[in-house]
Amino acid sequence: MSTALVTGAASGIGAAVAAELAAAGWRVAGFDLRVAATEFAQAGDVTDADAVAEAAARAEQALGPIDALVTAAGHYEMTPVADITPSQWHRMLRVHLGGLVNAARAVLPGMLARREGQIVAISSELAVGGGDGDAHYAAAKGAVIGLVRSLAAEVAPLGVRVNSVAPGPTDTPLLAPDSPWRDPAYLGTLPARRLATAAEIAATVRFVLTEGSFMAGEVVSVNSGAVI
Amino acid sequence: MRGGELTRLALVTGAARGIGQAIARRLAADGARVAVNDIAPSAAMDKLAAEIGGIAAPADVSDREQVRDMVRRVEDAHGPVSTLVCNAAYMTMSPFLGHPAEDWWKIIDTNLSGTFHLIQAVLPGMRGQGHGRIVIVTSYWGIAGWPNATGYAASKAGLIALTKTLGRELAPEGIIVNAVAPGVIATPQLEVDAADAGLSLEEIEQRYARGVPLGRIGRPEEIAGAVAFLASPRVGAMVGAILQVNGGELRCRA
Repeated sequence: MSTALVTGAASGIGAAVAAELAAAGWRVAGFDLRVAATEFAQAGDVTDADAVAEAAARAEQALGPIDALVTAAGHYEMTPVADITPSQWHRMLRVHLGGLVNAARAVLPGMLARREGQIVAISSELAVGGGDGDAHYAAAKGAVIGLVRSLAAEVAPLGVRVNSVAPGPTDTPLLAPDSPWRDPAYLGTLPARRLATAAEIAATVRFVLTEGSFMAGEVVSVNSGAVI
Repeated sequence: MRGGELTRLALVTGAARGIGQAIARRLAADGARVAVNDIAPSAAMDKLAAEIGGIAAPADVSDREQVRDMVRRVEDAHGPVSTLVCNAAYMTMSPFLGHPAEDWWKIIDTNLSGTFHLIQAVLPGMRGQGHGRIVIVTSYWGIAGWPNATGYAASKAGLIALTKTLGRELAPEGIIVNAVAPGVIATPQLEVDAADAGLSLEEIEQRYARGVPLGRIGRPEEIAGAVAFLASPRVGAMVGAILQVNGGELRCRA
């Protein structure tokens, strides 16, 4: 039986990943601002390195060594680039890039000692294609991809695989009901003509974890054709 | 993805050996009926088809009439193809100036035009079902380029553009087109590469593995797993994607 630590596990893509893995027989530890509905769940903020490290240690005590880390904790808002405040910019980078760094630092020593393990970071097609009104989000997710590829190169020879799944617009609570991403006129421009579902992103994460044994540093796009 | 999600008909080209054989076995294990194609009838093809409860479907994919006849035979007997895996490929390597023109065209005609013929042949059946999965096997070399493999790399890069364009063109109809780009995989082709380079099989595997961050070459089953995922009903939001399964080769972009 395998064990996963999933950040952002209380809602959206993180919750779908946790459910997908649990259904496949994994033991899942969830970490989120709210307590997630996972086998083992802790509340905390991914921007707090000490809290993440403590949570990972407690998850290992409860469920055993963490075989996989999935970082899905995220934060999204639309703001014109000139209006992004320093604190908005700071928070966006701390949640996405800092959240991945903190969680990876917490689990990598054990993975490297065991010479096995993997990390899947949720990034975004906006990091690849750029956005319009969410430059801080795109920058943070772009940094995630840069980190994923460098980390992959560094730890692949040591037995640890790091990859990313890059969703496009996905039907989760991060998209407000009045979000322009939900506008039928926008959806009509997508080759798939619809949002991706959180379950589809979760299935892709599960594929990378269970069948991606020859994948490292890869960014798997699941974006309804928004960026090809 | 196991458990009978794929109960429909899959056609896998170049399936008598190597990656294609692993794909055919995997799709059959996942519950698909599999038409096993290779360039000519052979004992290996018949044996594989028998083992997986599939159908031998020989045809040279570079020959448009043969492709059309083969697809017609398969569909007349077993219904429309719902999953097409374009894997058949031909390759020779040569320094560019010495690349024989006949090799160049055989590579392009097989790898790129063969895929064109195949998709045109199965598309009416997929449209009739309002559903389809097309998985194109391209190559790391088609993304990164590779010395002395200009024809092969060009054909595989052409498949990437074909994947992206058809992804856009067909997704609105529920026909989903994506590609897998394998790195170096342990297949019978390595014996050819070894002979060309004057090395033993073990030596060529070690030479290739040295450049791979994961420290080894891949297994055909690892490509088959990726193809099976892209053939599954759960990838409806993946469109025109190039899934790189190459052990972490990062010095290139699709």
